[in-house]
Amino acid sequence: MSDIEKRFDKAVKTAKLGLSEDEHDRLYQQLGVFLNWLNPLLEVDTAGIEPILLGHNSVNVLREDCARKGVMAELQEAAPEFDQGFYRVPPIIE
Amino acid sequence: MDLRNLSVCQAVEDIHSGEYTAHDLIEKTLENCTLLNESLNIFIHQAGIDALEQAKAIDLRIEKGEKLPLAGIPVAVKDDICYGVLPTTFGSGGFSDFYSPYTATAVEKLMEAGAIVVGKTNLDNMSLGSSTTSSPKGATINPWDNSRAAGSAGAAAVITGAAMVALESDSGGALRQGASSCGVTGLRPTSGLVSRHGLNLHSSSFGQVGVTALTGKNIDAVLQVIAGYDQYDASTLISKDEFIPEIEPAAIDNLKIGFPQSLVEGLEPELKTACQETINLFKEQGFEITDVSLRMLPEALRAYYVIAQAEASSNHARFDGIRFGTASEADNLEELYLKSRSNLLGREGRQRSIYGTYLLGKGNFDLYYRQALKVWNLVRREFALALTGCDLLLMPVVKNLPPLLREEKDLISSWEEDIFCAPVSLSGLPALSFPAGMIGELPVGLQLVGPPFSEKTLTAVSDIVVRDKQLFPHGKA
Repeated sequence: MSDIEKRFDKAVKTAKLGLSEDEHDRLYQQLGVFLNWLNPLLEVDTAGIEPILLGHNSVNVLREDCARKGVMAELQEAAPEFDQGFYRVPPIIE
Repeated sequence: MDLRNLSVCQAVEDIHSGEYTAHDLIEKTLENCTLLNESLNIFIHQAGIDALEQAKAIDLRIEKGEKLPLAGIPVAVKDDICYGVLPTTFGSGGFSDFYSPYTATAVEKLMEAGAIVVGKTNLDNMSLGSSTTSSPKGATINPWDNSRAAGSAGAAAVITGAAMVALESDSGGALRQGASSCGVTGLRPTSGLVSRHGLNLHSSSFGQVGVTALTGKNIDAVLQVIAGYDQYDASTLISKDEFIPEIEPAAIDNLKIGFPQSLVEGLEPELKTACQETINLFKEQGFEITDVSLRMLPEALRAYYVIAQAEASSNHARFDGIRFGTASEADNLEELYLKSRSNLLGREGRQRSIYGTYLLGKGNFDLYYRQALKVWNLVRREFALALTGCDLLLMPVVKNLPPLLREEKDLISSWEEDIFCAPVSLSGLPALSFPAGMIGELPVGLQLVGPPFSEKTLTAVSDIVVRDKQLFPHGKA
């Protein structure tokens, strides 16, 4: 059994498809034709080319990676009481 | 009222002004649907009373003073797009009584705008093809030549007046080729412009929801409604508010259109004539025509079939009779999987699942699949480069006439029919097929390809040709 045939049988098993003997043979014969047809694809020089993983041309937009002044100081000022990094509020459970 | 001579905008205006009601329009359309379905096999399911009830509801809203951008417009929806009111079969016998628990976002948006679904249109088994010949319900017959397939049932519905608009899917070119075969206009939008939520995708990378109508202007009216961000589809790119055409129709006077002259060598003489006539018409409009190079189409086609089959093998894994689809009778779990999946997927589906699994397997993944993803990158660059020297590209859509009803093509020959469409799908760019001439008794289309979000320019330019040609299959349908 050739490597292609072994891989084909494994693919049939993995895909969980019950094929008749005729269909199995037809698809195996056709696979050879398909793989030959793909040869021009393999001949394309893709050295240094990244594979594409998205169907559209969008790119991720990131903000500049730099420190920014947060809102902590304003929150502390607005809080009734602030102690050692915690906001102190009246108890709600007696 | 002849739907083939009525524009979407005109019908909406007429209904708002009380010229006739949405109910009148839908009633007339449903008559056409029933009559045409007997001879052409366009619909798998027709809406009937549901559509009439919806039309009444639209009329009431208009009476109350509401303005609806698509009031009463009859829409045909391809049966791989979910619509909760009617069964969704995906072109598989195993889903003949499947009601989707939700409706696709694009359909929801159409209905919110006042459009009414008149039926679910025929399609190839599991939507794998561009002829309808593998449908369990039989092929849809071409209204122009009854010995041939329509290619797309939605296009057949539009050209015969069984709907004013059709919502369809396009992966490797089914929508565009069907539009070409039936003599209508069909748009594959920019990837990410229209939500795919509710579309049964076999190819996640290339499947899109598009629109077919008699004119580009009709497509504009629909696209304005369905375009935009959808929280249920993370691949939607932009918000509707940002859908602004790059070039308004009024500013198309000095367009430069790239035409890959080398592609037309070897085409049917009538197809060459259609190309030349369209070029002449564009020149008369003051457009400049320039030769461009698209050398990678053969490799792009191969990359498409590697990626699309790999994705189909993954996407179709859920059709196992347990998660989705009718379960076959079996004595054990393994047998249930084997029988159910074989029944649900059909011949083309089984083949794609197996070849896709093969291509993703150890030893093949890098050789075929990863190489195809890299070639995809090169193809995208080639299209982008071609568009640096011009505003739009003009290309053929088909190599040959649509297939005869009993024609059996070998695998490679049938795939090679997609040589002009599948590569454009890889580019992610919008493409619009429009009627450009006749080959004997059959219409044939060409396609315009533009930069992302240039849909309104494409429709405006194509309408110059559509107005000039006025193709209708009078007396044939």
